[in-house]
Amino acid sequence: MSGGSARSLGKGSPPPGPVPEGVIRVYSMRFCPFAERTRLVLNAKGIRHEVININLKNKPEWFFEKNPLGLVPVLENSQGQLIYESTITCEYLDEAYPGKKLLPDDPYEKARQKMIFELSSQVLTNKKTTFFGGKNISMVDYLIWPWFERLEAVELIDCVDHTPKLKLWMEAMRKDPTVSALITDAKTLRGFTDLYLQNSPDACDYGL
Amino acid sequence: MRRRLESMAEDATRALGKGSLPPGPVPEGLIRIYSMRFCPYSHRTRLILQAKGIRHEVININLKNKPEWYYTKHPFGQIPVLENSKHQLIYESVIACEYLDDAYPGRKLYPFDPYERARQKMLLELFYKVPHLTKECLVAFRCGRECTDLKLALRQEFCNLEEILGYQNTVFFGGDCISMIDYLFWPWFERLDVYGIADCVSHTPALRLWIAAMKQDPAVCALLIDKNIFLGFLNLYFQNNPDAFDYGLSC
Repeated sequence: MSGGSARSLGKGSPPPGPVPEGVIRVYSMRFCPFAERTRLVLNAKGIRHEVININLKNKPEWFFEKNPLGLVPVLENSQGQLIYESTITCEYLDEAYPGKKLLPDDPYEKARQKMIFELSSQVLTNKKTTFFGGKNISMVDYLIWPWFERLEAVELIDCVDHTPKLKLWMEAMRKDPTVSALITDAKTLRGFTDLYLQNSPDACDYGL
Repeated sequence: MRRRLESMAEDATRALGKGSLPPGPVPEGLIRIYSMRFCPYSHRTRLILQAKGIRHEVININLKNKPEWYYTKHPFGQIPVLENSKHQLIYESVIACEYLDDAYPGRKLYPFDPYERARQKMLLELFYKVPHLTKECLVAFRCGRECTDLKLALRQEFCNLEEILGYQNTVFFGGDCISMIDYLFWPWFERLDVYGIADCVSHTPALRLWIAAMKQDPAVCALLIDKNIFLGFLNLYFQNNPDAFDYGLSC
């Protein structure tokens, strides 16, 4: 079974059985970018896996036994071993499974990849001020904002729960007069995206 | 006697500040660490250098007066940074520690098994609030502010770690022998006393046993910082004295 087209499990759902041998299970959610990281690695390495989607707005009680933090993604193997935190799951898969190595073998090159990732994450999550440039909104916030505006349209917004500072930034951005004057509502963005993906010449005028 | 021991420590050199000459290339067979004698993050990396017996040289950086050339080593001027004879730079303390474990022979500090490695990394996630909380407690304590809420939050974090030790029923976080995760935690526990928050482990006996076991480890012992010297550093640091970083050096 491939990438998670199954309905998500919520409160009251029976816990899934053990993971069959030769397969690894990922607890996921179709629109979560963190879980997507893990699914990308599973697919890139051709690892046989099954996907159980979790209803993140109505989590099954049993899910907290898989991850006390109640977050996706979580890996479970046939030995009942549980691994969570998206970057840790990705590295685990690369180490535990044969085939193409996604992280370099060379210790320095491996460290370099981790440094690049860490620095970009740091900028996003460890910033001490409300906005990326400081206490007030500035150029860098306007430069980054459009991508996050679109995140909401495609329902990825739930996953900024992982990153509360990012969530706070988005709320602060929405209060900015310039941002709110130019904001496009999620429904319109979705409408545009649908038509655009169908290559419709009417896409660009959606909503007019 | 203690002062002589301090001056014999590998990192007992004056911190380099603005206007200092950039150091030359790192000689072959050696790795260099840019550090600061009292920084807990650098401490992690120095523990790994010590535990693995890696030949290294230390350059201390004056964090209140950073040399201009230091930004060519780290974009934000942070420590620790490793530099090898191939001019390769590695930063972020956890990444530097893993690099040393991967690149150097001898005793491996991370387990071989991918799941056990992942477990140690998951444990590290559990620890993430501790550095910030201990620092906040120190600052509050030094500024004469009350920090009961902070200490309560820190105790809660320590309870979580206590639970892990209880569940595993092992002395160390990685098992019956000291391993990477223990070294990654250690610097903040060594500082509990000088930060004035040693009582935060009063309800966590397994954690206290772990602390006692860690103090028996040769690498931990070799790098243990003298309490009076640490206090001297803290006094000067909180007075914003740029000489703080050299406190306790004999010359």
